[in-house]
Formats: sequence, structure tokens, C-alpha cells
Amino acid sequence: MTLVMVVDDDQDLAEMLGIVLTGAGIDVDLVSRGDEVMDVFRNNPPDLVLLDVMLPGIDGIEVCKLIRKESMVPIVMLSAKGDSQDVVRGLEAGADDYMVKPFRHPSELIARIRTRLRRTNADVTSLLTIGDLQIDVTGHEVMRDGKQISLTRLEFDLLVALAKEPGRVFTREALLGEVWGYRHSTDTRLVNVHVQRLRSKVEHDPETPEIVMTVRGVGYKAGVTGGS
Amino acid sequence: MNRFRYFLRNSLAAKVILSTVFLSLGVVWLTGSALYSQLSSGVKEVNLESSLAEARSSFFNAQYQFLLVQDKPTSQINKTTQQIIKSSTQVGVNQARKDIVLLKIEDTTLSDPRYQANIYNYSSEGITLKAIPPTLRKELFKKEDLVYQYSTLSRLSGVETESLIIGRKIAIPKSGLYEMYLIYSLTNQRTTLDLISNALLLTGFALILLIALITWLVVRQVVRPVREAARIAEQFTKGDFSQRMEIKSNDEIAKLGTSFNEMALSLESQITRLENLSRVQQRFVSDVSHELRTPLTTLRMASEVIYSHRSGFDPTLSRSAELLIAQLDRFERLLEDLLEVSRFDAEVAVLEPVEFDLVPLIARCISDVGSTGEDLPISIDMDPELEHVMIKADIRRLERIMRNLLSNALDHADGKPVRVAILQTPTEVAIGVRDYGEGLDASALHRVFDRFWRADPSRSRVRGGTGLGLSIALEDARLHNGELDAWGRPGLGAHFVLTLPRVAGEQITGRPLKLEPTDAHKFER
Repeated sequence: MTLVMVVDDDQDLAEMLGIVLTGAGIDVDLVSRGDEVMDVFRNNPPDLVLLDVMLPGIDGIEVCKLIRKESMVPIVMLSAKGDSQDVVRGLEAGADDYMVKPFRHPSELIARIRTRLRRTNADVTSLLTIGDLQIDVTGHEVMRDGKQISLTRLEFDLLVALAKEPGRVFTREALLGEVWGYRHSTDTRLVNVHVQRLRSKVEHDPETPEIVMTVRGVGYKAGVTGGS
Repeated sequence: MNRFRYFLRNSLAAKVILSTVFLSLGVVWLTGSALYSQLSSGVKEVNLESSLAEARSSFFNAQYQFLLVQDKPTSQINKTTQQIIKSSTQVGVNQARKDIVLLKIEDTTLSDPRYQANIYNYSSEGITLKAIPPTLRKELFKKEDLVYQYSTLSRLSGVETESLIIGRKIAIPKSGLYEMYLIYSLTNQRTTLDLISNALLLTGFALILLIALITWLVVRQVVRPVREAARIAEQFTKGDFSQRMEIKSNDEIAKLGTSFNEMALSLESQITRLENLSRVQQRFVSDVSHELRTPLTTLRMASEVIYSHRSGFDPTLSRSAELLIAQLDRFERLLEDLLEVSRFDAEVAVLEPVEFDLVPLIARCISDVGSTGEDLPISIDMDPELEHVMIKADIRRLERIMRNLLSNALDHADGKPVRVAILQTPTEVAIGVRDYGEGLDASALHRVFDRFWRADPSRSRVRGGTGLGLSIALEDARLHNGELDAWGRPGLGAHFVLTLPRVAGEQITGRPLKLEPTDAHKFER
């Protein structure tokens, strides 16, 4: 059974989240303080973390950084502010996705969680190349010259999405649909931040990307395979 | 020339220096020319007097010599004449060249025929009788004393010299009366006068340079603090309030500096106060947002859970669940709008422009807005070649403007179709939303963007707008440096035109889409 760790200082909201998630067949671990997260995390590693930004003890952004040091587990931030600084800070700290309270529908939350938890489709070729990288889709590994590059699941999904269709130019909206599972979203910050993070891990020089190429005014595409 | 004029207009120092130089040029010229005329007349007078004295003595000497030899033989007289000519042409006191002309006066020949041959006419080398002005000769005949005249003497060689010619009648024994002219060259006097005028010119020039320099030094003392003040004021405009003027003395300039600094201090404290207020406001907005949203999230999830089980409820309970959901929606929208309005009021609304295609965004807004109510037709009018309208704007705000305009139009369309027009120019993009509903009268047009204002309070709210939509749309448009205008006539519907710069933040140069709709007259009764 899937285990989701819910970190929120508001007892009622945490309980409600527990009810909704349990109703969807997901196990829930409730944590109310930022400084308690890492203990619980190590004792009982969850499949996904739902993390509020404002937390007593340690702030959610910091918690996010701490988790990222140890694990590539998907992290979805819960933010009460629509303020983009908060959102971007959370994404830069390592969050894969975020949801602004109040959510339109609980089903939306569950859909997001499921997208983050889903295994990459098995119907694609299990071995892909992009630039000078080899991607083992089933093994969930990215290699360059025999060395493994560690990516979060979302970064991996983003890379696979681009590598699957080498010729295609993906708009940011298309990537939002493909990778994040959004139907209509125009929040391109999500894409921008993660492309930057992915580049910092896979590019030789993130300033002149060769793996994730920018197509000005449109979006992104995969770099030429076998390129230098 | 224009640049020079520009420079003059823009530099106080240049203006002051230039006018000082011009004025002192006048003064120096006046005093210089007065000095020169006085000096030159003095020099001429002295020269004339010494020349006259010398000539007088020469004439006297000549007469005395001839008196001594009047009873001597002709050869003796001849010799004396040569001597007189020689001594008279010796270089005189003023070191100038001297020439002589001796000419017998025709009608004074002595009656004795023996003397007929004794003629001593003589003129110095290169000089003819023509050189002597006739007026002087006439005067000489009339007078017994000295006559003189300034004249330009032309020699046979063609050289012209300014000269003083002094003449007198002289009697030569055993010959008759002669006109005797002594010609004093004035070259030396000219040289002296030239020297004086050169010296005066040089002094005047140096004086003007000095005056310009002094003026510059003085003006700089005044202008420097003024310039400094201007520079600091410019920094203020850029938002740097930390700069102050340096005050070294206690004069008027220092007073300017002191008041300037006081003004700066007061401005700085005012702005800090306002900034603090805005910060407090921003904090408050953020706190309210957080405090309200968390319980609202719980409420929404709880109500969704209840709502999802409504099939098992009795009808009143089921309807209550529906109402709960709907009102929570409305509450949430109201909260969002209020927060947005307070962000605009605190001037903390931030634009996040990205480049995107407007057409799919509008299409999406239309399908979203249209799908929430009954099926009201919305059509898009646009140039068929306009497949893409690229714009750099805040996508979230633009989406909100469009949703607000569209739902407003649908709310007031009375079931008639709504038309959306898109138009682009190289610098602007315009979107028009036209409805054919009950329209707006003139007084309503003034208030249509007011917060919580409703055209008809008794009207039912189909889409449950918050009453803040248009006001927020206007603020959103203005944040892009764009404009949102409204047109309306009772019974003819309304037309809202959004004009945006193609790149957010740039200026719009006009309204490519006319506010008054072209189909307005069709419905005129």
C-alpha cells in the first residue's frame, strides 16, 4: 500500500487530508512539526511527502532541502500563498510539484499524488538515449559514460518525456500535461524551475545546454542524440 | 550653432562667462580706444612741435646764412646754398628722414639781368614738386611765416609715406624769393603709434581672458553646489535617498544646501514610513491569506466528502450540501479577489511577463467560462490569418482579465451571443468583448470599474461574480501599462476593449480597436 507523509501544523486540515487520502486507498503518516519530519522519514520512508510551507520548528522549505539530501522521494508542497516567490523557493528547494490552498477539489490533490507516484509507462522502449546520456526507463537509471546520474523521479520523468520523442518540440503547457498531469495549466514556473534543476544535473555546461534545448518562444526539445 | 545654443541654454556657467566676456569686451574696447586716441594725439603734438621748432631753426639758419653772403660773389652764394641744403636734410631730432624742396618763385626775379641765371631750384632725390600739395603752396604765398600740412608723399619710386611738410619763403641773394619745403617723414611716429595700439590690443585681450577666468572661478563656486544639488535630486528620482549635500560655509549656497538636506531627510522619512506601511499591509495580506486559507481548505475537503455522499441523503440535506459547496466556491473567489485588490492597493502586485500565444489562451477562457453556465454562444472575430498572437505578458493576470470580461459579458448578455475580437499591430494587441444585452447608460459607464458596483442591484447573478472582477481587470491591464475601456448604450449592449502593449511594460501608442463598436448603429431605434 502507498504511504504518504502529510506534514502540516493545522491538526484539522491534517486530519481531513488523512480522511480524503485514506478514502482513496492511501496510507497516511501525519507529522505536525518541521523538526520531527526527518525522524519519522527515516523510520518509515514514505512514497511521497505532502509538505506545508509554514511549519513550526523548521520551515517547510528547509525540510524540503533536508529530505532532498537523503532521498529522491516525490515532494508536493502545500502553500497557502499564491505568491510566486514562495512557490519558486519551494521548487528550487527540491519540491516536484506544489498545490495552493485551498484546493479546488480533493480529487485534484489525489490526481496530483497519483501522477507523482505512477511508474513511468512500461510501453515505451526501456532504453532511451538523449545527447550522450543513456536512460534505462525500467531500471529508473540515467548513465553517462557508465556513471550513474542521480535524478528525482520528476526530473527523470521530464527527461524521459523529452527523450521519448526526440524530434518533438514540447511547449511548456504540453510538458505540464505530460509530466505533471495538469489539464489546463499555464503555470510555466513549474516547468522553468525544473528544467533549470535538471540541466544543472545533466548538462556539461548548464549555460549552453545540449541535452534539454530551449526553443525560443515555444518550449523545449531533446538534444541531438550522439552529439558531442 | 544649434549645439552651441543648446550648450548655452544648459550651462549656467557658460551663460554667465559669455555675458561677462561680452560686457567687458565693450568696456575694454571703449577705454582702449579712448586711451589710444589720447596717446596718439599726444605723440603727434609732440612730434609736430619738435619738427616745427627744428624747421624754424633751419629756416632761420638759412636766412641768416644768406644774409651773411648777400654781398659776396655768386660762387659763394652757390656754396652757401649747397651747405644749407645739406644741413637742412641732416637727420633731425625725431630720427626720421628729412627731404627738402627748393623752388624759385617765378614772379620774384630780381630786375638785374645778371642774376637771371642764378637759379637754385632743388629737390631731394625721388621727390618732385607734385608731391607738395597745392593748398600748402597757396598758403605759403599768402603768409610770411611758417606753413605746414600733413600729407601722403609719393616718391618717384612709387613709395608713399606719411609726411609732415613745413614750408617758408626764403630769399636767396642775387636770385630771388624761393619756396623752401622741409619734408619730415612720419614713419617713426607711425611705428610708435602702432606699438601703442598693439600694446593696447594685447593688454585688452589679456584682460578679457583674465576676466573670463575670474568669472569662471567665481561662477564655479556658485554653480558647483547647484550642480551637486541637481545630481543628488536625480539620485532621489532613482530612489536613492541616502545622498546629502556637503556644507562648508554659512552663505546663501550653504543655506540652499541645508534646506535641500532637510528636504531630503523629510522625504526619506516619509518614504520609509510609507514603505513600512506597505510592508505592514503586505504582511497583513499574507497573514490573512494563510490564516483563512488553511481552514477554508479543510472546509472544502470536508464539504466535498459530504457532497460525494449526497445520494444517500434526504433531499433537504442533499440540497444543503450543494449550497455549501457553491457558497464555499463563492467565498473562496471573494477571498481571492479581496486579497488581489489589497495587493494592488499596497502596490505590491508583481508582473511576471512571459511570451505566449494569446489565441489558445482566449479559446481556453471561453470554453471554461462557457461551460460553467448554460450554453451561451461566444464567437471569436479575428483575422483568419491571425493564427498566433504572440504577446509578452503575465499569463495568469491576462487569463484573469479574460475570464472577468467574458463572465461579465455573459452575465449581461440576456442570452444573446457574445463576440470576441482580437486585433494586433506591431506594438499593441487589442481584445474586444462585445455583448448585446441591456447595455449601460452614461452614469453606469463611469462606475463600471468601481469595486462592488453592480449595474442593476436587483438582477440575479448568474455567474456569481464577486463585484471586484472588472476593477481587478482594470488594475491588471494597467499593471501591463495597458488600458481597459468600456462602452455601452442602454439597449445596445456593451463593449469592453483591452489594449495591451505587445511587450508588457512598454507604452501603448494608441487604440487599434475602436471602443465604439462598428455595429452600434444597427440597433439604433
